Amino acid sequence: MRSSLTRRLSPYAYLSPALISITLLSLLPMLFTVYLAFTDASLYTFKTGFHWVGLANFVEIFSGSFSKVFFPVFGWTIVYSLLSVLTQFSAGMFVAVLLNNPNLKETRLYRALLIIPWAIPGSIAALAWQGLFNTSNGMINRLLVEFFHIDAIPWLQEATWARVAVLIVNLWLGFPYMMTICLGALQAIPFELYEAAEVDGANVWDKFWKVTFPMMLRFSLPLMISSFAFNFNNFNTALLMVNGGPNRVGPFAAGYTDLLASVGYKLTVNLNRYDLSGALSIILFFLVAGISLFNMKVTGAFKEDE
Amino acid sequence: MARRKATGGKLRRFEIIEVWITRLIIWALIVVTFIPILSIVTASLQTGDVFYSGSLLPDPARFTLNNYKLLLTTTKFPIWIRNTVLMGFAVGILQVGITVLSSFAFSRLRFKGRTNGIRALLLLQMMPNYVSIAAIQYVLFKLNMGNLWGLLLVLTGASAYNIWLIKGYMDGLPKELDEAARVDGCTDWQVFYKVILPLARPMLAVMFLMTFVGIFNEYIMSRALLKSPNDMLLAQGLQTFSTQFSVKWGQFAAATVLSCVPLAIIWGFSQKYVESGLTRGAVKG
Repeated sequence: MRSSLTRRLSPYAYLSPALISITLLSLLPMLFTVYLAFTDASLYTFKTGFHWVGLANFVEIFSGSFSKVFFPVFGWTIVYSLLSVLTQFSAGMFVAVLLNNPNLKETRLYRALLIIPWAIPGSIAALAWQGLFNTSNGMINRLLVEFFHIDAIPWLQEATWARVAVLIVNLWLGFPYMMTICLGALQAIPFELYEAAEVDGANVWDKFWKVTFPMMLRFSLPLMISSFAFNFNNFNTALLMVNGGPNRVGPFAAGYTDLLASVGYKLTVNLNRYDLSGALSIILFFLVAGISLFNMKVTGAFKEDE
Repeated sequence: MARRKATGGKLRRFEIIEVWITRLIIWALIVVTFIPILSIVTASLQTGDVFYSGSLLPDPARFTLNNYKLLLTTTKFPIWIRNTVLMGFAVGILQVGITVLSSFAFSRLRFKGRTNGIRALLLLQMMPNYVSIAAIQYVLFKLNMGNLWGLLLVLTGASAYNIWLIKGYMDGLPKELDEAARVDGCTDWQVFYKVILPLARPMLAVMFLMTFVGIFNEYIMSRALLKSPNDMLLAQGLQTFSTQFSVKWGQFAAATVLSCVPLAIIWGFSQKYVESGLTRGAVKG
């Protein structure tokens, strides 16, 4: 028989690899980042060591020269996250409703085909799209010019078009996931609701807006909010397609498709401004924590059901 | 729209029209979704100037495998693929191992902090770890680990989300099996090794696969940490092509095809498990 002490401690043995790696790779970097945020750590102090500077970095972000970057980028981060979720969800729902037609015998085949963008690594797809969006030679402008006889669109050079291009690629990459979620949600809607609606004289349109849509929204809302929080930091596409650009006028080389997270990333990777990057991460943390807490409040996700 | 039972008899006229409209819209959507893919596959199989002509359908007269040959012999693509596959296996196996042990503890063992532990871990990892990039790069560069070993270390960090997902799956396995095994004198470890692990195998395979594909996607961390072109993973390596797309578009397309087709096929075969795994883990019921 094993002693009660071993018995009490053994669960932690199972947990230890995860706890050690999370401590080492999530918790400590986070704490060190917080520390860096209150110092002047940068390329200049890398060799000599850094000093405590108090709130100077936060003052710089909110009212110094960095504020000219911070607030516009913050605005775009919110718009980008909202549009990403809304476009992906509407497209996913639209396709799911079409595919869910019981008279469509070959629906499994269509599902398998439409899910393919999900299977392609997003980074490689983003690079491919960069070529396809090329202004003078890319496939997209070629097709548009050939079929619609319009002028070539400066997709990756002009701020608004670059933003549209990034959102299009995000939509292409993301709608299969939302489609899968919505198909699951559609299966969960009780058939009786439609029968009841039919008795009340509802037509196809009413049935969609009064039964399908609200039920699906209820099922998908937690996923949509976490998808919003995810997109808040999801700068992979923009980084690979246009490197966050085209660049804004001004310091810090932040671009029009940069998100707060990618500005912080570039501060570290390109400029070695560990101090400002750390401070930005703290601000970002509070923003995303706020969204996630809101999500848990609204939806009761992660509630233990035992 | 509703899950009507497919009527045994003939469809009503209205239903026939409805199903054909649906079909046409879906065909159009599939075409739009596949135009980029088709264009890449075509470019990879034709002589260099497809990037310029914008032609979508392959032109048999210009068929060539030259792009593939150049890609495999004159670029670092084979090295990047090797790095990526090795890294994928290493991270995948380590991740699955770390995750499955913790999930078992959270699902089957009693200990202090069980209920709140996983929630705390999920909260902690709400932020992707590249947000701590300042600290990670600072420390790894100080330690002179701006290489594949440093990257392996960073990517191996356990994922609370995966732990939660696998725990959900394990919660769905009948507890009677454990009890029966314990009556036969099995210890915790034997219950884990002989009962739970074999049953969780399909779900673990899905997790391995997702981690593996994730490494093909890895760009953010490697760009921040790796310096030598010989260390690069696939995405970062291919990114170096993009500055000279006009000359290397064909080769880039070939690289995309070579790396994505095997993944898409594996993904296609495992889709059923991915879907059921995601929903079973996420929506307990």
